[in-house]
Amino acid sequence: MTQLQVVDVAHRFGRRGVLRGINLRVGAGECAVLYGANGSGKSTLLSLLATRLRIQQGHCLLGDLDIQKHAEMARQRIILIGHHSHLYGHLTPLENLIFFRDIYQLDTTQDLLVQAITTVGLAPFIQQPIRWFSAGMKKRLSLARILVSHPDMLLLDEPYSALDHAGVVWINTVIDTFQKQGGLVIMASHDPERVAALDHTPWRLDAGILQPWVEPNRC
Amino acid sequence: MGGTQPVLKAIYRLAWKDVMADFRHRSTFSSMLFFSVAVLLVFQAAFEPDPREAQRLVPGLLWTTVLFTTIMGLGRVFQSEEENGAFEGLMLAPLPRGAIFFGKWLGNLTLSLMVMVMLVPLTLILFNVTLWSHVPMLLFLLFLGTMGLTALGVLLAAMTQTARSRETLLALLLLPLVSPLLIAGVQAMAVVITTGDLSGPWLNLLLIFDAIYLALAPWGFGWLVEE
Repeated sequence: MTQLQVVDVAHRFGRRGVLRGINLRVGAGECAVLYGANGSGKSTLLSLLATRLRIQQGHCLLGDLDIQKHAEMARQRIILIGHHSHLYGHLTPLENLIFFRDIYQLDTTQDLLVQAITTVGLAPFIQQPIRWFSAGMKKRLSLARILVSHPDMLLLDEPYSALDHAGVVWINTVIDTFQKQGGLVIMASHDPERVAALDHTPWRLDAGILQPWVEPNRC
Repeated sequence: MGGTQPVLKAIYRLAWKDVMADFRHRSTFSSMLFFSVAVLLVFQAAFEPDPREAQRLVPGLLWTTVLFTTIMGLGRVFQSEEENGAFEGLMLAPLPRGAIFFGKWLGNLTLSLMVMVMLVPLTLILFNVTLWSHVPMLLFLLFLGTMGLTALGVLLAAMTQTARSRETLLALLLLPLVSPLLIAGVQAMAVVITTGDLSGPWLNLLLIFDAIYLALAPWGFGWLVEE
């Protein structure tokens, strides 16, 4: 079973230290949720784990794989759903998923792609270019990628943004199923109420330092 | 999945995506075509050459038109990647950076070649040059030249994609670097037109520049996009 180990990871943008000595261990089937103010380093940590940014100090292991040294191999096992949908406006939902399948070199059949589009509720729009889709519809389509690929690690940056109530329930079901199948999830969020439905471990990133989340005392 | 075939499929899919974008928006291809026709019409009106003089001018005219038309296409090569953070999506894919480069290059090359297929007969008609038996050889030379031109161009387009006046910057960087290839192309075409022979040192030089640009540009692209 895959587990993620982040060991002494630090990162700087120019002179500004964004992450300092990050240590994190997430096992198979677990979900770690990162809370923190804007600019606290949540998205940077996700970008490092997704291999989009080069790790400057420390290392990350996904199972036995050093994701920095074997970035291309690691990318095959990681999906990042971030602020941007990474979709092409001129392509239809099906064409976008075909594109995703081919650049991720997946064996998924076209029937499965259609099924994923139906599951995310976009079947009526399957032949329409997505340029005029709402933000929520684009979010659903980008989340459909989870259904057609079987990553070991799912990185979610504000996954609830632009989703309606049904969308939130749906994505929590997808994450829950993914965890039960042994996948590990790292999520950055500002939304503890929506995350509450998930079996998760909360963490707090404050000025680049990662600490276990302590529930504030309520008077 | 592993091996070469999935990577080739990914390269094809990247190129397909760019060509589809162009057909659906009718943007780059139509602009390139109209621009090249306009350039040829201006040349024709300015020189009004007799057929013999025109035959001498054809290599220079064709390559000049191809160069400016290609620059126009290259200015838009990363435009579709700006929407929805698509370029970042490509960087997250489990693909060698060189494969992403080749996908973008193939898409741009396809559009440029489609323009060229129309450009050659149009030039012969406009300038009243009877070189119809040479058309396949002229197209072949333009194909070879465009391969190197677009390889270097895609790399420079990636370098300049975040610049404010990127099209100007792209032209400024591309023109001096691509001059040796253009000279080889013009001279090789002049040899074909005068002797009907598709061989010689200029053709070899064209092939050498193609090999250099196609070997170095993917490597340069990989270095450029890493953060």
